[in-house]
Amino acid sequence: MTASAKLVLTVVSLALGTSSIGLGQAVAPGPLGALSRENLSKPRPKPPFELTGTWLHDNKDGPNSWRFVPPTFKLTPDAQEHYDAGQRAAKEGKVYRDDIGQCWPAGMPLIMTRVWPIAMVQLPTVIYMTSAFMNSLRIIYLDGRPHSHPDIVVPSFNGESIGRWEGNTLVVDTKYFPGHHHWLDQGGASIPASDQLHIVERMRMINNGNVLEIEYTMTDPKSWEGEWKMTKRWNRVDDDITEVECWPDLNDHIRSTSSSSQIR
Amino acid sequence: MTKKIHILIAVALANLIAFSATAHHSPAVFDRTKEVKLVGSVKEFRWSNPHSFIELDVRNEKGESDTWAVEMNPPNYLVKAGWTSKTVKPGDNVTVMVNPLRTNEKVGKFVSITLPGGQVLTENAPSPAR
Repeated sequence: MTASAKLVLTVVSLALGTSSIGLGQAVAPGPLGALSRENLSKPRPKPPFELTGTWLHDNKDGPNSWRFVPPTFKLTPDAQEHYDAGQRAAKEGKVYRDDIGQCWPAGMPLIMTRVWPIAMVQLPTVIYMTSAFMNSLRIIYLDGRPHSHPDIVVPSFNGESIGRWEGNTLVVDTKYFPGHHHWLDQGGASIPASDQLHIVERMRMINNGNVLEIEYTMTDPKSWEGEWKMTKRWNRVDDDITEVECWPDLNDHIRSTSSSSQIR
Repeated sequence: MTKKIHILIAVALANLIAFSATAHHSPAVFDRTKEVKLVGSVKEFRWSNPHSFIELDVRNEKGESDTWAVEMNPPNYLVKAGWTSKTVKPGDNVTVMVNPLRTNEKVGKFVSITLPGGQVLTENAPSPAR
């Protein structure tokens, strides 16, 4: 290729490139990647605690310890229908819409209280949490970015989490859920999590950094009235997570998931 | 006696909690007040996450073979109860106790196994699950 031909190609490609974003249009830079060197090296105050480690939900208080449903509540008519269907199924020894059993993600907040360890890695800009249960990934950004614009965010079962430090507490705001196949309990109180679910977690460390305590405040105007509040704990454990996935043939063998005890 | 009952309740509760939340599905479908004894030949044993399982060929009253699906905890729990991936293999003649489904299908939640040599194993460590 001659030098003049290369010049023509360059000009054409530049013209096509600029026309695709509009001449003269400013393109706002997105946030720096959480793992970019520039972002990681920004000066920031020392965080008050370090989550890096493996954690296991404390279930010593029995099954209610992993549920995210308060003792009393007032549901919306739509959510009440699901709840009533769940109660009818339970009376027959069946379960109503156990979507986790069909390999849908547990999602927030239930993913936090599976009896599987959670590996947490804390960096100055981000916390990565990987639950051993289906290796579900949860990302909490700490680099000061705001929530994504609702028109571009991709809803997800663990939602979009933005954290900020308030004294000795990490406050995490989570929203943007898919609004389908997502529940506040499994096989018990069948209360759906809608796309309006909003979770605020206040995380603090107690017992010399060996116990993580999280106070939850949850609203979901499509499913219940007012705020639900509850507090749960996790213990630091010396353990590893492993690969856990819902293989396509899993439920061919775990046949309770396709038995007549399932109400879909 | 009372102390023994308390210990039994504590172990049962620990087992319930372990399977309730390690399972990828709700365990509420199993009738924990009943145990069914299955005597048969191992068709398949899979050592995998999130569940291990045994498929067991069991002869019914008519002399025909039924395949029972027996759902188990993940290997992490089984190891602590004395299992390895080679504890059972296809063709082994074993006795398995299960909590059955309430719907009378041939599916059960594993309780214990008697191996060909007579050894009995459960799926949870003797101490409460971690």
